[in-house]
Amino acid sequence: MADRRRINGPAGATIPPVFDEDGKQYEHKVAKIRDRAPTAIRKMFLKTGVTPSASGSAYLEYESSAKSGVSGLKLSCTVHGPRSLPRSSPFSPHIVLSTHVKYAPFATKQRRGYLRDPSERDLGTHLETALRGAIIADRWPKSGVDIIISIIEGDQDRETSKFQGDETWDMMNALSGCITVASAALADAGIDCVDTVAGGVAALVQDTSDDSTPRIVLDPIPSEHEKILGACCVAYLPIRDEVTNLWFKGDLPASDIDLYTKLVESGIQASRNGNRVLVECLGETVA
Amino acid sequence: MPLDTSTYSLGLLRVDGRRWNELRRIHAQIRTQAAADGSSYLEMGHTKVMCVVTGPTEPGPRRGGNVGSAGGAGAASGGQHKDAEVLVNIVIAGFSSVDRKRRGKGDKRTLEMQSTVANALAASLHIHLFPHSQITISLHVLSQDGSLLAALINAATLACVDAGIPMTDYVAACTAGSTSTYAANDESADPLLDLNHQEEQELPGLTVATLGETDRVAVLVCESRVQVSRLEGMLAVGVDGCKQVREILDRVVREKGRKMIQEGTVERGTGLNDMDVD
Amino acid sequence: MASQQHVLLSPAELAYLHDSLSLTPPLRPDGRSPTQYRPLSAETGILPGTNGSARICFADGTEAIVGVKAEVEKTRRKWDDDTIYDENKEETREEAEGAEGSSDWVELTVEIPGFRDDDSSTVFLAAMLSEALLADGGFVRRLVINRRFHWKVYLDILLISPPLSYPLPLLSLTTHLALLSTRLPRLKSEGDEDPFFDDDWAAAPYLYPRSSNKKVLARPPVTLLVMAVGNNIIFDPAKEELAVADVALAVSVGDVSSSSSSSSSEGEEDVDMTAEEQEGRKLRLLSIRTVDPPSRLTPPGVPNATNSAYGHAQVGEGGKTKQQMPEARAAESEAVEGVWKPPRGGAKALVMAALVQKTLQRGGVADEVFDALEGVDLG
Repeated sequence: MADRRRINGPAGATIPPVFDEDGKQYEHKVAKIRDRAPTAIRKMFLKTGVTPSASGSAYLEYESSAKSGVSGLKLSCTVHGPRSLPRSSPFSPHIVLSTHVKYAPFATKQRRGYLRDPSERDLGTHLETALRGAIIADRWPKSGVDIIISIIEGDQDRETSKFQGDETWDMMNALSGCITVASAALADAGIDCVDTVAGGVAALVQDTSDDSTPRIVLDPIPSEHEKILGACCVAYLPIRDEVTNLWFKGDLPASDIDLYTKLVESGIQASRNGNRVLVECLGETVA
Repeated sequence: MPLDTSTYSLGLLRVDGRRWNELRRIHAQIRTQAAADGSSYLEMGHTKVMCVVTGPTEPGPRRGGNVGSAGGAGAASGGQHKDAEVLVNIVIAGFSSVDRKRRGKGDKRTLEMQSTVANALAASLHIHLFPHSQITISLHVLSQDGSLLAALINAATLACVDAGIPMTDYVAACTAGSTSTYAANDESADPLLDLNHQEEQELPGLTVATLGETDRVAVLVCESRVQVSRLEGMLAVGVDGCKQVREILDRVVREKGRKMIQEGTVERGTGLNDMDVD
Repeated sequence: MASQQHVLLSPAELAYLHDSLSLTPPLRPDGRSPTQYRPLSAETGILPGTNGSARICFADGTEAIVGVKAEVEKTRRKWDDDTIYDENKEETREEAEGAEGSSDWVELTVEIPGFRDDDSSTVFLAAMLSEALLADGGFVRRLVINRRFHWKVYLDILLISPPLSYPLPLLSLTTHLALLSTRLPRLKSEGDEDPFFDDDWAAAPYLYPRSSNKKVLARPPVTLLVMAVGNNIIFDPAKEELAVADVALAVSVGDVSSSSSSSSSEGEEDVDMTAEEQEGRKLRLLSIRTVDPPSRLTPPGVPNATNSAYGHAQVGEGGKTKQQMPEARAAESEAVEGVWKPPRGGAKALVMAALVQKTLQRGGVADEVFDALEGVDLG
């Protein structure tokens, strides 16, 4: 049925243009290598108070790699609350946390729609677990707090999908950024927390050939490594020395439990580094 | 593959070897789920349905949209619920049909079926005995081969009986159809009882549910075109089929009751396969 | 999320449960040992219209049914596959591409009565289960038919009973069994032509193949729920036990036996296999997620010292309020023995590592669960 009220585009499908890669190399790409030390995380920019209308807000940016085509991670977080719950909801003796994580449609290589898809809801659940441990919930009965994170740029290499196929490793980086920025925004909103939470990612990677031994790196960029054997994202409270959320995915032999333990410890180390930036930024906010 | 109705008038045999007035094999069990208030499992031919009833319980927060409800919610506009509210939730599994098809929760056909089942049950259950409460009926469709609404109503009835909710009588449901399509305009077309999937797609049919062995019709759903002259015949055959279904359901309930009295209690977690046929 | 289940326990009951689970050895409400699982009944092949199906009932009445259906789908070629027709490179290409799969060849949906599909708890469960399945990439490799076609597998998980306890272990075990019993029609076509299959269902091979002596060579993963209270590690927690957990983890474990046993030296290989089987399986750690325990959402208890119902002096007299204030603050932050407080903060990294280690150790819980599931007859 022709829709005559609107001006429509052509009815058939159009094939999007396919761009040639940089350089004329077809068969063997110049493998990107990680130029940071294995224990160095990327530089971060964190600022609170960017949205005046919200109770608290923060903006986080990870530096983009020097190589072209690799974008950084840009996140914006707003916190609304504590505010009273609607009348219809049952009594709750502690604060009701609701998290909402959304990639902007233009943030990743594949366009995402306007409605949250299951992977974004999953990120929201991880974030909720991470923050619930930090917030002192029973000081705010009958209240709710909403944490809304928009991922403006998703830390993806344009050619990533050719190598890895799925975006899980990028999501781990995004999650760690979400945790850090949410923690800053919560502090900006004045919600009581036992400690600051920061996120950190560590991965077990294998570079170039199969013979090289796998090594553990902090804050991995998936396109810089040939194969990622496993990665974990940790939300860590530095002063209490406790982990509120752990997400590990990969394929490790169960007999070698030390490998797993080292990976988590590296994740905690990455989180500690991130926390230093967080504390410094909050110090500036207060001052 | 179009339904081959050539043998219908000759040998009066359908594709699955039944005659015009034969029901498919109905197999039912109650108390299949130990943790629920009432539960049942029903097979009408290859249509397999599980039902779990919770209630009567305290009403939860008011839900809009996705749940079919009848009774207290719809009745009084004054806000006081004089009757219990019957909430029905139908989940049609993706693997239930031959092609895997996922239906979202907001699917209109599903919502309509939920509402129909809720109204059917609310007509028979003594909901005036439980004001300000809700009875939740969860139906899971494991396999579909025609007569889905009828199977759902029967399973819900059995589960309510198992849950011990007082009711006037069984709500027994069944489908009926006609041997030739509307387009053929065949005046001498015979009615058929209990349609399977192939027949449902090709031939006009209706679903009818009666209150027990009486002729009182609780549900009548006909979504296909049929001549008015054939309608009465189909309805009569359907009502007769419902009486047979009611007898089967009653037998299942009595047998289970007899076993429970004999054994004193029922073992938990018995499997579908080792529950014996009557 | 576990956090959304309403566990109606009073602070006194929670304190009692927490204390009894913190003892050495822990006293569980039903008297089980810390690594003992509740009895369950399992059956497979209950739905003849599916490629594989399973149903598991736990002793507390929770029940789940999983059905697996597979459809043939055309493989979407990546847009840089110009070299696919290069004759010289054909072998390496085949090796490289035939071995790969894509995570969207598996579609997993979880349906829980009373919850919407986009509810966070449902999404978390679906994500956890599919993550475990896709973690090592081995599963999708089995789905390749030829270079142009593959199987797309749909896993529909239904929770039949109302969600009384955290359904993750139940759903995971049922999925495991359903996948074990899944059969795909036997391929009769050859090479890259349009696939056609044998009509004989009895000739259909299992998705997870068995070796000559009926031993399963590789298995789908299993997700176990493990929790810690104080210094104790407890497996298969019931909902009351989960309500007082300090930390709870969902750990996905896979089992890959040596799949390199070729037909040439089978005699020798079999002997080696049995020796290794006797030693135990080769377990792989596939994924771990922290589960938010419902203990954080429980109401806190009020110690008698600050409870006005127990004769504590009323607020009102000016001098006394100042005295009461530091008491109230202390009562809020310090733990009073016997008074339940929802846990704050997280868990120590060492505690979590201990949880994982206990799950994975040889002859431990993961091995037992795999053994038990092996015993289920796959009709």
